[in-house]
Amino acid sequence: MMDTLMNAGVHPRAQCPAPRTHRTRGLLLAALGLTLLLTGLPWVAKAQSSPLSGEALEIRVRQITDQLRCPTCQGISVNDSEASFSVQIKDKVRRMLEEGQNEEQIKSYFVSRYGEWILRAPMKEGLGLVLWVLPFLMIMLVGGWLMLRVYRNQHGSKHAGADAAAAEVAPSAVGLTPEQQERIQRDLKRFEEQD
Amino acid sequence: MAMLTSWKFWAVMLGIVALTGLFAFGFTKDPKLVPSPLVNRPAPAFSITEMNTGQALSSSDLKGKPYILNFWASWCVPCRQEAAHLEAAYQKYERQQGVLRVIGIAIQDAPEAARDFAKRYGKTYFLAVDNKAGDIALNYGLYGVPETFLVDAEGIIRFKNVGATTTEVIERDMLPLIRKK
Repeated sequence: MMDTLMNAGVHPRAQCPAPRTHRTRGLLLAALGLTLLLTGLPWVAKAQSSPLSGEALEIRVRQITDQLRCPTCQGISVNDSEASFSVQIKDKVRRMLEEGQNEEQIKSYFVSRYGEWILRAPMKEGLGLVLWVLPFLMIMLVGGWLMLRVYRNQHGSKHAGADAAAAEVAPSAVGLTPEQQERIQRDLKRFEEQD
Repeated sequence: MAMLTSWKFWAVMLGIVALTGLFAFGFTKDPKLVPSPLVNRPAPAFSITEMNTGQALSSSDLKGKPYILNFWASWCVPCRQEAAHLEAAYQKYERQQGVLRVIGIAIQDAPEAARDFAKRYGKTYFLAVDNKAGDIALNYGLYGVPETFLVDAEGIIRFKNVGATTTEVIERDMLPLIRKK
């Protein structure tokens, strides 16, 4: 039969879909790679050292102050706040950018005065790194666990079905009618086809 | 009963207890009290001008003697409460005993309004007004007024008080820190 398939130009492996574990692993790796890429892009984009001016300067001011917490407000950024401290922080950020300082230097200045509390998102180092990685880790763990449960359930039910069918056939094979035997053979063939 | 011997059951219970403990600990903290990263670090440098006499003063001039650095504003309500306490500390510890100085810097304030406030509430120690950009306020990581720092003779910040600084705070929390040196 293999020769027949090969002669017809059909590779035997083409008839068999990729094993579920390989497909699943591939999907997980792709998802991980995409996540790392998307979270890595902002890190690349933030490097800047030459002084800015005009509209480009204002855009950077908004981007950076959006990451700083308003010291006197409840839960809004410096960028969104018109409180006096926030206005002064915006001016400070603007001046620091005009002097040629980059985002990391500016954030470091405020963290050294206010603590990490001033940042709206945890820093990507130390304990902060744990907070960044933990959600993705949890999603992958839970997703992996769910896939494992599904895989086990499917294979477990098939084996249970085959065992049950075998148990049905073996003890009562002597007393089965031809119709019953034919029905059993049909069911067994269906299980094999599902594999 | 079989559930009680299951490791999964106990793992979930441990997770619930740990999370509950974490929340309980968090609720004991006052979210308004943000610890300052400046404590036990050198006080940021500043240069100010006395708002009545025009006398110049910089932080480097203050080395050798501890000082209380109080940030206030004329529009600040608790600042009215602490004004008498700081004035009393100035009279006792700076003028009479000469063991420390008391400095006040008004932030986000107009000089005229600051002078009126000082006159109304009897503040006679060294008082200045921060510039419009709020450079000194930002350098000290202020997020409101009043806030008060204790700087020791070496120029290291030893204590920060958020809210009105009373005589009790000065004598209980600040003076012991400079006396033991």
